[in-house]
Amino acid sequence: MTKNNLKFFFLFIFISTSAFCQLDNLKWKKVDLSYEKPNNFRQRDYSFEFDDAGDFAKKSIAYTYWFFISDVDGDNCPFRPSCSSFLMQSVEETNIAQGMLMFFDRFTRDMNLYKGHYHYPRVKDGYYYDPPSLYTLNELNVNFYYTPATEVVDE
Amino acid sequence: MKLTLIITLFFFIPNLAQNSHFNFHSPENKKKFADYLFCEGDYLRAVEEYESIRDLIRNDTIDFKIMLGYSSLGLFEESNKIFKQFNYESVFYSDGYLYSLRNILQIEQREFDYPGIPSFDPTQWKSFRKLFSISMLYADEPFESKEKFVSVFEEDDQITVSLLYDYKFNPPYKSELLAGVLSAVIPGSGKMYVGEWGDGITALLVTGLFAFLAYDNFRADHNTRAWIFTGLGAFFYAGNVYGSVASAQIFNARINFEFKEGLNLFLQHKNYFLPEYDFCN
Repeated sequence: MTKNNLKFFFLFIFISTSAFCQLDNLKWKKVDLSYEKPNNFRQRDYSFEFDDAGDFAKKSIAYTYWFFISDVDGDNCPFRPSCSSFLMQSVEETNIAQGMLMFFDRFTRDMNLYKGHYHYPRVKDGYYYDPPSLYTLNELNVNFYYTPATEVVDE
Repeated sequence: MKLTLIITLFFFIPNLAQNSHFNFHSPENKKKFADYLFCEGDYLRAVEEYESIRDLIRNDTIDFKIMLGYSSLGLFEESNKIFKQFNYESVFYSDGYLYSLRNILQIEQREFDYPGIPSFDPTQWKSFRKLFSISMLYADEPFESKEKFVSVFEEDDQITVSLLYDYKFNPPYKSELLAGVLSAVIPGSGKMYVGEWGDGITALLVTGLFAFLAYDNFRADHNTRAWIFTGLGAFFYAGNVYGSVASAQIFNARINFEFKEGLNLFLQHKNYFLPEYDFCN
């Protein structure tokens, strides 16, 4: 290596290290990463603001379910929408009586230990996709919303 | 020596450079470029180039290629708009007609009305017969007997076509009413009838458990608990009857879905029984 090249080499090292050095306002330090899954179900909104009697009844049933089952059981529902959301959406799509029937059917299916992997499609997170629209007994809806188990659904 | 070479290059390169005498945008050159794009499978840009010279060069092949291009892009309505401008005397009229039928099948997914048929050569006639017959699978009722329907197709395709016919006109549906009634008589049996054995057995166990708890508590004079279990059991029972009907509906929706997917895959595999056109070799 000639003297000139050596000079350039040291100049290059000097400039590059000064350019990328640790600054006063940006100290290098270890990062604390959290690998815990967020527990959204713990931050539930139990407020009793309602628009009509139907809304009141719907919220009462959902809150009872949250209090006695969801919060005790944890975030373990294998379906999306989860069982409590399914109940709320079922009542919204139909009425209280039909929504309750849809919910009890869902709850029974949830208790089935051998839920077929080939029965429900999945959402990206791996949960089974099981929307209330399939259970309203509206044939057009069912044909429209039916998704084969091989598909991954955007929730 | 070096200097001479540099000077030579300096004088020669500008002389040979791209100049304005060569018209890249002449209709003929645009057509050549569009032909190249078409053969490369870049239908979107090929169609764009063809469309830009369509008024300048009247050519049946260009019109037909635009139609094929739109069809390959899934723009079936655009493709059929081009066909409507075809001259009846055009050499591509019959081919375009077949493609327009395929486009209609893709857009409307229904059986054909009996169309006015242009003059076909024997290959085109075969394609037409098959395409026309297969469109029956989009109808609610068959307008040909199964034997007549199947006989139109090649021997290799007859098994598939026969299965599709059965799936369409004798689908293995499950009765919603029967599923509901079965679950009303024996909880869970409606689900088992639909093929959901796990759900059926779970429903039987859950309903049975609540019924037993209610009975046992009534027997022991724990009336409050007994009524709670009776209520819960009743909800599970009714939910299961409802769910069995819903399951039968979902089962039937799956049959419909599988039929449509199967038919589409078959038609795509067979290119809708249309002849292949090779404009590139």
